[in-house]
Amino acid sequence: MTATTMKSTVKAAGAGAAPGEKQPRVQNTGKRIGTVAVRLGAIATFTLILVYFALFAPGFLSSFNFINVVEQSAILGVLAFGMAAVIIGGGSNVTEGGIDLSIAANMGLCAAVFATMLQAGYPDTVAVLAGIACGVAVGALNAVAVVGLGILPLLATLAVMNIAAGAELTLTQNTVVGATSPLLAFLVSGSFLGISTLAWCLILFSLVILVFIHKTAFGLRLYAVGGHPEAARAAGISVPLHVSFTYLFSGLCAAIAGILAVSRLSASTPGSGEMLLSVLAAALLGTVFSRRLVPTIGGTLLSVLFIGFLANGFQLLNVSSYWVNGVQGALILLVVAVTSFARGPEASR
Amino acid sequence: MSNEQSRSHSILKAAAIALAAACSFQFVISAAQAEELSLKGKRIGVSIVGTDHYWDLMAFRGIQDEIKALGGEAIALDAGRKDQQQIAQLQTLIAQKPDAIVEVLGNLEVLNPWLAKIREAEIPLFTVDTATPHAINNTTSNNYNIGAEIALQMVADMGGKGNVLVFNGFYSVPVCKIRYDQMKYVLTSFPDVKIVEPELRDVIPNTVQAAYSNVTDMLTKSPEKGSLNAVWACWDVPQIGATQAAEAAGRPELKTYGIDGSPEVIKMVMDENSPAAAVAAQQPYEIGKTSVQNVAKFLAGQKVPPFTFVPAVLINKENAAVTGKPFLEAAEKAGVK
Repeated sequence: MTATTMKSTVKAAGAGAAPGEKQPRVQNTGKRIGTVAVRLGAIATFTLILVYFALFAPGFLSSFNFINVVEQSAILGVLAFGMAAVIIGGGSNVTEGGIDLSIAANMGLCAAVFATMLQAGYPDTVAVLAGIACGVAVGALNAVAVVGLGILPLLATLAVMNIAAGAELTLTQNTVVGATSPLLAFLVSGSFLGISTLAWCLILFSLVILVFIHKTAFGLRLYAVGGHPEAARAAGISVPLHVSFTYLFSGLCAAIAGILAVSRLSASTPGSGEMLLSVLAAALLGTVFSRRLVPTIGGTLLSVLFIGFLANGFQLLNVSSYWVNGVQGALILLVVAVTSFARGPEASR
Repeated sequence: MSNEQSRSHSILKAAAIALAAACSFQFVISAAQAEELSLKGKRIGVSIVGTDHYWDLMAFRGIQDEIKALGGEAIALDAGRKDQQQIAQLQTLIAQKPDAIVEVLGNLEVLNPWLAKIREAEIPLFTVDTATPHAINNTTSNNYNIGAEIALQMVADMGGKGNVLVFNGFYSVPVCKIRYDQMKYVLTSFPDVKIVEPELRDVIPNTVQAAYSNVTDMLTKSPEKGSLNAVWACWDVPQIGATQAAEAAGRPELKTYGIDGSPEVIKMVMDENSPAAAVAAQQPYEIGKTSVQNVAKFLAGQKVPPFTFVPAVLINKENAAVTGKPFLEAAEKAGVK
């Protein structure tokens, strides 16, 4: 890193225009107002929908229903944290930034490996380790493709998604692999303070990730790498290392989600890839809860719960479940469109 | 030996035809005709794993239409073939405390713990095509009969010997297990009928395309005409792909057999030149309706048997013109062609 590049990046990242350069400042202010409007608009929409459910959906406000939704959101939540980490480290540009399209298929593969190991008679510890190893290995493949080979994350992870899905089909022959074990029984029927184990998993995992991403130096560096890789490099941060880490972490999340999925379904089942839309929706919707429109753990958690409440509220209102997918897709489109608008031309580059 | 065999074949064939004819007279028997049933003021939860096939869609519609017809309110939930979604829907449904729940199809291994929770919550549970100890009543076709009949038809057409390609991707679905086991049981009496190993796997989605390429591959592997004689599947969507593959490969001697009676397959069986030899046609709409009638009877304090069979009809080349017609008419009436 030369002194000149360092100077120029500092300038670029600097506090804006020199005296006399009025136009950029006006643009900046306009953009800032736009960003605030977008954020508040999106948060208002979320709130309105929830208030509507609270008023009109019978049973929506009961604590039992809330715990149900948290439990139902556990698998999606863990996956969304993985996706959020990748977007934080790779940048939130939708086309060129970080994205892990393989995460849902990876979850399916990990679930299949975990269930197959249990069915083959291995104890929980071995099966869990095998599942995690599988998830991290797929993550490593993503890291090699994106960081090592420099392939666009969108394409690299799309390819790895197919590899993972193919591997799962080969392993399970597209069948349901039933599994029982002490760990699964604990996950599915255990509870503490009236909250089920699966719901606790989401709560505790959220807290750990929240501290890790937002309260450690490593988390801060991750944001720097995603927000401005050149500046991060200038500051002496290893960009490839941090980006690679996000894909490995995403693989780990897929493995944990896979184990939770086997506990909830008492089996590994085909079709995990279907979750990708919801995972993307959660991670992208989560950006509206941050001032800079980047994913945060709190924001991701809120949108995961929002998606859960959406399906739940529709069912309680007896509105056709066919609407849920459509509404999710519409929300993604809306958020991507408004965040691109708010960030200005550089976001759609 | 050969005389004995041919005699047993002709007896088999005659039996198959007689059975089919007998079944055709039973077509459309509505249990509601005699009784005044009502679901007024009742909320009935309906959960189905997916509605992307003719059978599923018709059963789902039959259930909802009958709930409406009897004055009840349906909470209808389609999980879009996503097990996780179906579980989440069932969980929320339990919290909604409906007067009864009707569950349709799905993987028993996944469903059973949740069906048990429905009973723990003291909600009466009824199933369609899903045999589980947790249900008060399971309304379905007589899959034991269907499985044996279609297998016997296949063996009869094969002349008691030859090679069968079997699709066995859904053994975890209870009705498929019964039909498969019945087919295997029939084959124990015909040692010259061999299942080609390894068995083929039918998949969802892309069932037709996958079956087409599987069967095409097997035909390429056994190029000699007559080396493969039949394709069996526990439902009829793979049969569509298998039939198309046999036609495309110019191997019409490979006959196909399936169960359900999608209009497309019935039309194939009606076509003299098609390799589709037979299909056991069910009445999914009637099955759905009958299940709801059972719910109404139960809620009115009447006794309900643990299972109700709605008649199915074996449609084969000999009887297709007569037996297939009412099924196609019913499908057309429902707007499915």
